[in-house]
This record gives sequence, C-alpha cells and structure tokens, in this order.
Amino acid sequence: MATITVDGNDIQVGDDERLNVIQAADRAGVAIPFYCWHPGLSVVASCRMCLVETGMKNKDTGEISMMPKLVPACQTPAKDGTVVVTNSPKVRANQNFVQEGLLLDHPVDCPICDKAGECWLQDYYFSYGHQERRADVRPFTSRKRDLGEHVTLFVDRCVMCSRCVRFTQEVSGGSELLVIDRGSHAEIDVFPGFPLDDQMSGNVNDLCPVGALCSKDFLYQQRVWFMEPHDSVCTRCSTGCSIQLHVSQNQLYRIQPRYNPNANDWWMCDIGRFENESVRAPERLSSIEHRSADSKTGAGFSNRLWPEGLKAVHGALSEIAARTGGSTLAVVLSPFLTCEEAYLLATYAKTISADVVLALGKVPVEGADKTFKSGFTIRAERCPNRLGVEQILRHFQKSVIDWPALLKKVEAGELQGAYVSAGYPVAWIDEAEAAAFERLSLLVVHDILPSPLARKAHYVVPGVSFAEKDGSYVNHSGLIQWGEWGLTPVEGAHVDGQTFSDLLGRKGLYQAASVLKELAGIVPFFARAADGVPQAGLNLVTGTEKHPRTTALGTVTHPLPTFRSVGTAFLETEAVSRNGSNPISG
Amino acid sequence: MQPDSKQIKWVDEPKLGLAGRLYLTPLIDGLSLTARHFFRTARGEGFTRQFPEERPLFGNPLIYRGVHRLNKDEQGRVKCVACFLCATACPAHCIDIIGTESPWADREKYPQSFVIDELRCIFCGMCEEACPVDAIELTSLFDLTGASREEMVFDKEKLLSVYDQTCDLEPMRSRGPAAHSGPPPGKDH
Amino acid sequence: MQVWLEPLIKIVLVVLATQAAVAYLVLVERKVAAYMQDRLGPNRVGPWGLFQPIADGAKFILKEELIPAGADRALFLIAPVSILAAATLAFATIPFGYLVPWPGADPIELTIAPKVDIGLLFVFAIGSLGVYGVILGGWASNNKYSLLGGLRSSAQLVSYEIPLGLSVIGVLLFSGSLRLETIITAQAQSGWWWFAVQPLGFLVFMVSGCAEASRLPFDLPECEQELVGGYHTEYTAMKFGMFAFAEYLHLITVAFLTVNLYLGGWHLWGLAPYADEVGWFGAIVRVLVLNIKMLLVILFFMWIRWSWPRFRYDQLMNIAWKVMIPLGVINLLVCAVCQEFLDPKNYLTRAVLGWLAVGGCVLYAALFAHPGKTRLKAPGIT
Repeated sequence: MATITVDGNDIQVGDDERLNVIQAADRAGVAIPFYCWHPGLSVVASCRMCLVETGMKNKDTGEISMMPKLVPACQTPAKDGTVVVTNSPKVRANQNFVQEGLLLDHPVDCPICDKAGECWLQDYYFSYGHQERRADVRPFTSRKRDLGEHVTLFVDRCVMCSRCVRFTQEVSGGSELLVIDRGSHAEIDVFPGFPLDDQMSGNVNDLCPVGALCSKDFLYQQRVWFMEPHDSVCTRCSTGCSIQLHVSQNQLYRIQPRYNPNANDWWMCDIGRFENESVRAPERLSSIEHRSADSKTGAGFSNRLWPEGLKAVHGALSEIAARTGGSTLAVVLSPFLTCEEAYLLATYAKTISADVVLALGKVPVEGADKTFKSGFTIRAERCPNRLGVEQILRHFQKSVIDWPALLKKVEAGELQGAYVSAGYPVAWIDEAEAAAFERLSLLVVHDILPSPLARKAHYVVPGVSFAEKDGSYVNHSGLIQWGEWGLTPVEGAHVDGQTFSDLLGRKGLYQAASVLKELAGIVPFFARAADGVPQAGLNLVTGTEKHPRTTALGTVTHPLPTFRSVGTAFLETEAVSRNGSNPISG
Repeated sequence: MQPDSKQIKWVDEPKLGLAGRLYLTPLIDGLSLTARHFFRTARGEGFTRQFPEERPLFGNPLIYRGVHRLNKDEQGRVKCVACFLCATACPAHCIDIIGTESPWADREKYPQSFVIDELRCIFCGMCEEACPVDAIELTSLFDLTGASREEMVFDKEKLLSVYDQTCDLEPMRSRGPAAHSGPPPGKDH
Repeated sequence: MQVWLEPLIKIVLVVLATQAAVAYLVLVERKVAAYMQDRLGPNRVGPWGLFQPIADGAKFILKEELIPAGADRALFLIAPVSILAAATLAFATIPFGYLVPWPGADPIELTIAPKVDIGLLFVFAIGSLGVYGVILGGWASNNKYSLLGGLRSSAQLVSYEIPLGLSVIGVLLFSGSLRLETIITAQAQSGWWWFAVQPLGFLVFMVSGCAEASRLPFDLPECEQELVGGYHTEYTAMKFGMFAFAEYLHLITVAFLTVNLYLGGWHLWGLAPYADEVGWFGAIVRVLVLNIKMLLVILFFMWIRWSWPRFRYDQLMNIAWKVMIPLGVINLLVCAVCQEFLDPKNYLTRAVLGWLAVGGCVLYAALFAHPGKTRLKAPGIT
C-alpha cells in the first residue's frame, strides 16, 4: 500500500492503482480544479488550473521535502510518500490568476450560452476565482464558427484546454481539429474543406468544459438546469452505450453518454445521440387499430379502445390457435424488446398454446462494425438486445427461428397467424418482405411507427420507444444494462411490458424490476441479475465486469449529473467484481 | 404533539379588572369605536376612491408591479435575448419561452415565442430582477381583466404592445443594449 | 265598513310594508356596516345605492334554483316557506299604531287582529314556529354543515325562549294583560315606560330577543367561519332569499315587541300622550313615533352586530341558562313583590327597586362570579 498525504490527511492507495494527484486528492475528499485533464485522454497539463504544491516524505525520518514550484496535479503520479498541499495561499493565488486570465478575454455571455449551468468556468469562478474584475472588459458577443454537421464553435468562449483536439487525435482518430495561431490568438479550427463530421463528433460538445463547442442539435433549445437526467441505454446498436436522457416537460432535449467502462467508456456515437426523432415523431402509432374484413383496400382501420382492443387481439390469436393448431401461430420477438418484455411475450405465446412458434424479429444490420482509434465501436448489428431475446427464445423452445426462417415458413403457408413485435426506430421492412404476410389470416403488428407491415396488419398495437420504458438489454458482449424511462408514452400508446402483462391477464401495473427478478429465477442465463442491474451493468457471459468507484468527494459540486458523466465521476474507475457482489446496486 | 408536551408553553389570559369582569367597559369600547368610524365616514372623511372614475394614485409608477411588458431597443426589436433567466426565477412557472437563433447580426439568440400566463403570475417582480438585459419589466397597469383564460395568456406581440402603451409614461429603466460593447460583433466564416 | 275589508286592508298594508322594510333594512344594514368599516357600501345602483334592494330582489328571483342531490325534496322546499310564513304571521297581533278615527264607525285599531287577549302569547308561539324551518332546512339539505347549523339553531332558540318568556312576565304583571295594545296603553297612562321600571327585564328581553332573531353576537346557526352558511348553506336564489327575509322579519318582530313592551309603544311625553280618542293628526304622529322607535331599536341591533364578536357555543348556552334565566327570575321576583305590596300607582319606588336589583346583580357579578372559569386549561392545572 502506498501512503499519500493530502492536505495533512493520509490516505492509502493500492500499489498497482497508478493514480495521479487529482485522483488521489479526490479519494481524500479534496477537489483539485482542472480543465484540460480527462481520464480518457492524454495529459498535456496546459490549463495550469490544477497546480498544487507537492513534496516527498522520507519514510525513515518523516522529513518532508517540498518542491520549490507548483506542479500540475494531473501530471504528477501519486507515489508512496507523496505529500500534496492544495489549499496553501500559493495554490489559491495561482487558481485565482488562472481564472482571471481565462476570464480576461471571455465574452461572459452566460445568459445566452448553452453551457451555462454546467460550465466549469462558471463553477470554478465561484469556488476559486477573483470576485472582482480588475480589467475593464465589457461583456461581448462571441464569434461563431461552423466546425461540422453537429458542432458549432463559439471562438471567444474557448479556454484552450485542447480536450477536443486530443479527442479527435486519440479517440476518434480523425484529427480534424487543431489549434491555429499562437499565444493569446490561439483558436480551435478545422482545415478548410475538412469539417468535423465523423460519427463521434458529438462527444467534443460534452468534453468542452466551457460553452465553446455547442451541439447544433441542442443549440438554444433549453437551459440545462431545467432538464432532469434519466439513466438509459442506447438502442441504436449492440454496443449498448450507457446514456442519459435529458428531459424537461416531457420532452427529450438531448442524449449524453454516461461513463461505463464495460460498454462505451466516456463516449457515444452521433447516431445514438442525434437520431432520436422516432421518440416524439408525430406519426407515432397511438391507438389499437383494427382493420375490418370488408375493407381490404387498406383504408379501413378503425380505432379500438385499449381494454376491448386488447381483448379482441387476444381473442383473435386464441381463435387461430384453436382452429388450426398452435403451430400455425407465430409470435415474433423483436430484438428491440427489453429482456422483461421478451420474457412476458414468450410466456404469453406459450399460454395460448405450447406449440406456438416463437421467432426472433428482424435483426437490422448496416455495413460492418466501425471501430475507432480508441477501440470504441459502432456495431453493424443495429439493435440492442438480440442476445437477450435469443436466450429467452432458447429457454422456451430450444432453437432460435430467425427472421429469414420465419419468412420461409410464411411463404410456405405453414402459418395462419402471426404476432409481430417490432419497435424499430427507423424503417425496417420493405413492401416486398411485407407482402409475404398478406397470406396470413391474422396479422398483429406491435410497433411504434407506421410501416408497410403495419398497413397489412389486421390489428395494430402501439408500443413505446426506448425512452419511454424501463427494462434491461443484453449487448453484444453479454453485458446486461438497465434503462429507465424518461418520457411518458405518447398519448394512446401503452408501455410494451404493460401490454404483454395485460395479455397474460396479470393484474396491476407492470414493474420491470420485478419481472426481471422473475426472469432471473426462470432463465438461468439471467440468474446474476436477480438483485437488479448495477449502473455499469453485469456481464452475463463472462461473469466479470468493472465497476466505476464512487469517489469520496462525489465529484466537483455541480447541479447536473451530466457534468459528472463527462467530468469527474470517473476519476476512479476499475473495481472488478465477480458473481454478484455489486458495489452499486441497480 | 400532546397537550402535556413540555414544548407547549401555556399562557394564561391576563386577569380582568372589576370593569373588565362586568364586561361593560369592553362592550362600550366596541360600540364607541364603531360609532366613531360610522360618523367619520358619514361626514365624508372616508378613504374610499370611486375607482373607474377616479384613478388611483401611485407613489412611483416605476416600481409598481403590474402587467409585464417586453421592452424594445432603439430599432424597435425585442430586447429579450431568450436567456430563460426570468423563467428560472419565476416562482409560479408562468413564463414559457422558445428560444432560437436571432435573425440579426449583432444578436445571438432571441425569443421565437415568449408567453406569460398572467393568471398564473403572482406579480412578484422576480423576472424583472433576473433579466440581464432589462427586457422584461412590470408596468403600472393594474386593471388586468379578460373574458377567458386564453385571453390572459400574453404572447410576445401582446407584451410588446404593452410596451408601446406604457413607454411614454414609464421609460425603460436602462437605455441601450446591455451586452453589445467590446469587440465588434459578427459571425465568423 | 265591511267586517272583512278592514282586516284585509291592514293585512295587505302590513305585509307590503314589512316586505319593503326588509328590503331596505338590508340596504341600511350594508350601509351601516360599511360606514363602521370605513367603506361606503352599495352606491352604484341608483343614487346612494337606493335601488340596490331592487337589484338584489331581481337577482334572487333570476338566479338558478338548485336542489342538492340527496336532499329531501319536499322538506327542502317546505322549509323556507314555513319559516317565512311563521315570521309574517307573527305580525297579526302586533300594533303598529294606535287608533284611526273613522267617520260613522268606531275608530280603527292599527293591529291586524285587535283585541286578541293572548296577543303576546300568539307572537311567541308563532315566532317559535320559525325554528321548524331552520331544522327542516338543515336536515333536508343533506349537508353536515346545514345539519349542524339546524341543530345549533334549535338548541339556541329553545334555550332562549325561557329567559324571553320570564322577562315579559314582569311586564304582564304591571300591565295586567297579554294584549299588546293594553300593555302600551298601560305605559302611556302611567307615563312610565317599563324599561325604566324593570331594567333587568329589559336587559334579559333584549339579549334573548337578539338571540331569538339569531343576530350577531348570537348568530351561531349560520356562523360562516365554522359552518359555511349554516342551515341555508345549500339554498340558492329565492329560497335563500326567503330565509334572509324571515330573519329580518324576526328582527322587526323583536324590535316591535321591544318598543311595545318596554319603550312605551306609540307614547311620547308631550307629543303623543295617552288619549281615549285621537284625531287624524294624533294617529299619524303615533304611527310615526312607534315606527321611529322601532327603527332606532333595529339600528341599535345593527350597531351591536358590527361591534361585538360572536360568542362561542358553550358561552352562548352558559349565558342562556346560567345568566339570563336567573336574572329573569330575579326580575320576576322584584316585580311580583312590587305588585303585591306597593301601591299600583307608585312607579317611582318600583323603578328604584328595579335599578337596585340591577345594582345588586352587577355587584354580585363583580365580586363573586368568575368569568373564564370554563376556558381550556393545561392538563394538571386546576
């Protein structure tokens, strides 16, 4: 064990932990301010905000020899015997001067700056800054620069921490951003004709500690303090990034990544971050629709109220199973369902008849896996829960019938009816594929958006998007993660789990957590999740995962957890757990 | 809390004197008090003002907290920069703003829509205090009436028209744009 | 003159006059209240708000009539009618003047039903019927507040009838009749108004009358802070109007009785002395004197209403049973002793004895009575 002294208090650090002084001080409950350092990026020590006094303690004599000058805490390793002083007048004076220097040519247009409220410059100003302004600089409007499809640079707000530049060099690998000019004229820019438009560009907005880099998607939309965060899971590929939904007045304003060393580290891609129109799309399905037999033209849908509509669906499914046998009825489990929903739907299918065919819904694949320099990968498999649904299918009927196999069965006329759950956030089926289902005498489509298949359906049941439901997803590596709802369902739609629970005839409200417990008891694959899923997830395949440690300080004081997701909650990361002992309960 | 709790301090009524115990003096006190007021009002020395005919007098209309207005700058544009600070400060949550990029070169952001629900408003003046550009102000218009709830939800145009209505009587408390000095404004690229 | 025409004219006259009086008394009350509270009161409808009663009446008639769900429909409708009928009926034996000469016939007595020997008993009996309306209304409304109001009202009215009855016995003893005209005449003949002779009885009568009319400080049945509106919470429009009417009619009744029993009726020294026969001028003067006295009493009641706070319910009951009834008994004793042992014409001695009785009571109260003994105390403190 290494002993490190922070402001007179000794703390013990494991020998193999390799912490820097910022992390060590944080563990001691002392916050050291910083801008440029980020645990996911290389250290440049350029912002000078984290300068502290350090020294070494002689183990034998107990004598402390201090360094004559301040050193950057981010660059100083915390070794055995390291002594750190963070609150001396010298350190305070330096922090004062750094803040004052940054604010000299800062526009201070906080009222219209989207970062205000989660801006480090603002927070540090209150904690470490000069409270009086000695230079006669009046507030002014920042220049604005277009850096790419998603990113706007407010040039004068920048504090030149170079996080974004290092991100494009080290994580996304595109090296689009650079610093032009020198000294006080230094600015961030791109080369003409080479904008920042790779699929990781949104991360630089989160990385920016001030309001220089702003997301075009979120620009001027809402102030950050109005939004409440909801921890969720991205459903756009099988990486399953941990995300936060930022919601105000039941409206999704932005999505930010949440630190998860098992899935996405600090990052997420622009697809998951920006392409979420489906959540509040005006064309969302919003009532149970029934196409009556006499209007085959397709325009003859009539709305049904929920309880009666669902009863009719149940009646129609049971009638098919009774008339032509259970094996002529297929129930399709979409890979967009949560594990709990898939389990309930499969259970329901088997209550209709033990012979009902369970199939895996269409797994959308786009191109090949795209891996970035740091190892972050956008998976070709664009669905969140293929693995989880497959495990449930295996449990209920041994083999997995995938979408092509199901299509064959349909075309061969082996099926009379089908219940197709979908929930795809984008168009997922074309007319040709949908045409095969025309031969069925009963087609129930459970989806969120209109599709060619829904137009052919006899019953359309509206579902909800990922932002509107609780539940767990198993990603490509077997990591089960818990997503929490952030929005109420669009009017007229019911949460999928509730729908399945109602179909099963269960009473009361659907509680995803208790269904997961039930599932863990029945399907051995999910056994480890019986007591809930911790924030960083549980790897059901390997049984091993890392858990971010809650730091002693609970981070730099800040109103929004957003800040923590990109800031300091990850000061310490790796605590490996095995089989069930979860440091953070789900 | 129980009646015998130590936290309760029981205070006994003061003992009545002889006159008080007869009840007579207090009763006569009451009668004479009301009689004095009766005859004072009857002599025409009351305080009532005949409202619609006789407008009330304000000590200082500039500090009265009546209907809101949105101020305009010299070019007649709304001064508001859609910073949402009034909405943040508002304890009644009656301000609803939709911000967007401004069409003007010297301004970053402006309110696409600015709505105040005057029925929800408690006229505390916090929005006025919070505004960094002195765009929202409370006027001395106090007789705020409407025939429907919808009518009492003031949108940007109506709030600007309140400015036109009151700007002569109550000048803006600060002049000129607040946040546009220093380096020349403009957009890069 | 026709036997039936004379009372008919008087009935119409009295009913119309009382209705109009009630309407304008409401205005007067509002004005008085307003002036006492530094306001102006109604002043928008007509000059000085003089048409306000008409506007109020129109409003009462035009407003929507609601009958609450679960109400006992029949009783709900009967209650206001019965209370108004009882209140109006009480005027049958109350004199509102003296005699009007009629050429070729006996002078007309200004009472609807003159020469009723049980006049005062009739007024009390009919007046007590009003409590039925209150209880019925409270019960039929199917509303807890109404029911509580009705219950309070019945308890209060029943309790205060006892001191009310006790207090007038002294008057009956001195006047030797239950007939109200005779009682006035007795005062006019003697030149002594009974309030000066029996101050204790007058006090008890005023207090009890105030309580019988449910006027503040005794308006527990409809006390707004506790019971919303009491027994008439659920009543709307003209049905509520009838309750309000009846209340004011009670007030007028009590005021008439006060004037007739204690304040000399139409008698005023010099202006309207006792006479067997009066001319037209005398008749008009006497009507005016009586009604002005009545109006002053009403104004006094209003003055009290806007000056004093309402009693607590237990205090209300204590005053009835522990104060007013003993005072009434003392008054009765003093009167009976006077009547038995003193010369019938010796009113001065009677008055002295009466005021001595008042002084004795005051002395007793000051020395021995312990006000506030019933108030809430901390446990363990006695």
